[in-house]
Amino acid sequence: MENLIETFHLDLRLIIAQVINFAIVFSVLYWFAFKPLAKVMSERSDKIAKSLDDAKKVEEKLSETQAEFNKVIIQAKKQANLILEKAASDADAKKQAEIKRVKEEVGAIINQEKQKMQAEKAATLKEIKKEVADLVMAAVEKVICEKMDEKKDREMIKKMIK
Amino acid sequence: MPADTNQIISEHTLYAEPIFHFGDFQITNSLLNTWLVVLLVVIFGLYFKSKIKLIPRGIQNFMEAGIEMLFDVFDSVTGSRKKTLKVFPFVLSFFVFILLNNWLGLLPGVGSVGQVVSEHGKKVFVPFFRGGTADLNTTLALALIGVIASHIFGIISVGAWKYFNKFINLKALLEIPKKVLKDPSVLIVNPIKVFVGLLEIISELAKVASLSFRLFGNIFAGEVLVASMAAILAFGLPVPFMFLEVMVGAIQALIFTMLILTYLTMMATEEEH
Repeated sequence: MENLIETFHLDLRLIIAQVINFAIVFSVLYWFAFKPLAKVMSERSDKIAKSLDDAKKVEEKLSETQAEFNKVIIQAKKQANLILEKAASDADAKKQAEIKRVKEEVGAIINQEKQKMQAEKAATLKEIKKEVADLVMAAVEKVICEKMDEKKDREMIKKMIK
Repeated sequence: MPADTNQIISEHTLYAEPIFHFGDFQITNSLLNTWLVVLLVVIFGLYFKSKIKLIPRGIQNFMEAGIEMLFDVFDSVTGSRKKTLKVFPFVLSFFVFILLNNWLGLLPGVGSVGQVVSEHGKKVFVPFFRGGTADLNTTLALALIGVIASHIFGIISVGAWKYFNKFINLKALLEIPKKVLKDPSVLIVNPIKVFVGLLEIISELAKVASLSFRLFGNIFAGEVLVASMAAILAFGLPVPFMFLEVMVGAIQALIFTMLILTYLTMMATEEEH
């Protein structure tokens, strides 16, 4: 052992000095390099993990929203169809009613006209009859050349026409 | 003879030479070089701390890649990332400290710039700087730190009683009367266990010796080798040996680190049955 110390000039103070050196290197590396670096590295991995998780959540939410959107659209389409159908049937009913009303009106007008025409016809016929009676009277007067009593004459004509 | 006294002797000593005295304390050229390493690490640490950002850039990328690589290597020894993280800063410090010391010993000027002092009537060339790990004091200090730390770590991890029984196996002796009726072979096996425990104590001393002498021997031999080559032909010839020494410096730093890590891991595991 003496020999060893002699050969290599071993000195406890030097050894202690080197231990202190190592301790300084260790503390500097630990406090200034490793600890902050490890903290940042784990922080970063946490952040990345969280981001990935968030991205997954967003994707899920998106697909959920898409599904909901589709559902709403389908419902809206259904409702629109329903409204359209109803509108169509309403319009149809209205049209039918209108047509009916118009028909009735037209019918009424036609009836009115018919009545009017009948009355006119009757009036005309009456007039014609009167005219014809006058004509016949004149003709008969001329033919007979004798003027009968007007009263008699009229009776006679009436009988003839009938 | 007068001719001999004027000759400047330049020889590679096994020990680091003192450059100046600080009271009774001798500052050796190896210690100076180690201080240089400490200075470098401190400067780097202060610079690096301000550079650490969540989004890595430049040097941080490089450091993180290096650390991740070392994580993988250390995981293969410790077996789990959790254990690696527990000892990583300590083991990393060994690596950085030894690597920088080894490489700083190879810088031009280290070992070649110095002063001439008279020693026993002879003029001896004493370099100002000498590789930190080319001094047994340094490597012995490192080995002692490593081995002692592994013991402290062991006591913390497995408990004082189990730790104690690794070396002085009282548990195996106390077991004999309990188990001897069921299994008579404990009469032979357990005394062997006790003897193995005693051997462990010697092996702990051997660890310190092997760690310190391996590192010292490699680095010192490397410096002598490069100097010898330079003495034969200073131009060109030392270059391949310099490359070799750069490799040796890295490899020895890694070996030392891995051995310390292995000791830490071994001490932290319970005795196998």
